[in-house]
Amino acid sequence: MPISEYPTLTAAADAFAAGEVSAVALTEACLARIAAHDAALNSVIRLDAELARERAASLDAARSRGEALGPLAGVPMMHKDMYYREGRVSTCGSQIRKNFVAPITATALSRLDEAGAIDCGTLNMAEFAQNATGHNAHFGDCRNPWNTDYCTGGSSSGSGAAVAAGFVYAALGSDTGGSIRLPATMCGITGLKPTQTRVPRTGVMPLSFSFDNVGPLVRSAKDAARLLKVIAGRDELDPTSAREPVPDYEAALTGDLRGSRIAVIETYFLEDADAPVMAAFEAALEVLRGRGAEVTRIALPMMRAINACTAMISRVESATIHANWMRDRPQDYATHLSARIYAGYGVPGPTYVAALSMRGPLLRAFVAEALSAYDLVVTPTLRTRVPTRAETDADADMANWGRMMAASANTRPFNYLGLPTVSVPCGFDDRGLPVGLQLAGRPFAEARILAAADAFQRDTEWHMRAPNLA
Amino acid sequence: MDQTFIEGTVAAIEAWHGISLPNDRALAALSDLQAALAEFAMIRDGLAFEDEPASFEAALAATKEPG
Repeated sequence: MPISEYPTLTAAADAFAAGEVSAVALTEACLARIAAHDAALNSVIRLDAELARERAASLDAARSRGEALGPLAGVPMMHKDMYYREGRVSTCGSQIRKNFVAPITATALSRLDEAGAIDCGTLNMAEFAQNATGHNAHFGDCRNPWNTDYCTGGSSSGSGAAVAAGFVYAALGSDTGGSIRLPATMCGITGLKPTQTRVPRTGVMPLSFSFDNVGPLVRSAKDAARLLKVIAGRDELDPTSAREPVPDYEAALTGDLRGSRIAVIETYFLEDADAPVMAAFEAALEVLRGRGAEVTRIALPMMRAINACTAMISRVESATIHANWMRDRPQDYATHLSARIYAGYGVPGPTYVAALSMRGPLLRAFVAEALSAYDLVVTPTLRTRVPTRAETDADADMANWGRMMAASANTRPFNYLGLPTVSVPCGFDDRGLPVGLQLAGRPFAEARILAAADAFQRDTEWHMRAPNLA
Repeated sequence: MDQTFIEGTVAAIEAWHGISLPNDRALAALSDLQAALAEFAMIRDGLAFEDEPASFEAALAATKEPG
């Protein structure tokens, strides 16, 4: 934790608002931890220490003048290096964009600025947000704070590591197939992928038009609730963003799950799951029952169709975005990434459109079967124990290709469906690495899934555990 | 690995997109693609095609939580 008395975003923000701590003190604590420990983790791409100090001092001055400040005032953050800030470099974790100067500022960053957050710089990520493990051939792999031999998860690798290590209180990630939830799981923190269209994507590097999402990695569900309230909502610069009203997510966190109906989807999501993952998952179900939820196991025959369609869409959309670079400078991609993008050009056009056209019908079918009789569905976020960086390094050894690609098996179906999904820590495996519990709800039911996650965290302390960085 | 599929797809990508095979890993990626296309072929006859692909946004609104 940056400061042990304020271990979470909400604790720090509330302490600042109450005048108990200064923004300068919070920022200096974060900068000190980064200076002491990031050499081991490699989570930071660019540190804007002086800008952060100036911003913190201005917030302290504004508070002393009695000015009204936002709900995130005084809270240091850093974000995945694909959120554009006008005039500054956004590398997207790549060689190709190593000197790309952003022409605009991301709407999500502008909203965080308006809410009083302090932006300390940018974080490591998988190249162009395109692997689930966190490998990066250009900036070096980001390393898991719990054990540096293991994956952080990707693609928001630096976001997961930096929050878990207590470098900052929150980090934006992006999630196209699990890229928020997987680093949250592997680093032992909370990660939220909102409903598709809930948070505008203006000024965020695109990967897949249909599946890209903006969301936070934080310590607790309460932190996620506060941050989501700030970044969600219609943005006229992003015509795909929803006009749905933004509720007070924190107000929904009552801890009460009595009467809640939760479904465990046994089809697909539990297949070949590792025993330590299943042990933590089953224990988590008991915690939810203890809070008053009724837990039922169900089968969903449409999972095969969902996965078959999912596999087509992001391949094609990513390939389309990268076509010019794949023609002109394919050697500037990591080996595994140019290979992955390349295959997308082989998808027939009618297959892509058919997969896209089935998205609405399959969402309706999924909701009818899984989220009408039940309020939430739960799965392990990652079926296996956290893998090592070596055993998933597809650039080093072709034999690792399958393991690298398999990490997102349980997360990517929810990108196709567009459903809000949160991952919370629910235990540790036999190697001392975290295990994650994934909860999903109906479209725009972020309040419900965060309420369940918060209730779970009231009875557990997995999310508050911190790795020993010494 | 189905050589006919691989060679045909490499040639098609070159012809349609002007993009060449970047490395040997891309052969594995094409093999994965072939498996994914075969999986899609298994389910496509059971899918009712909708004329308007943008129906997804309508489905999001139609299936949202009541209240």
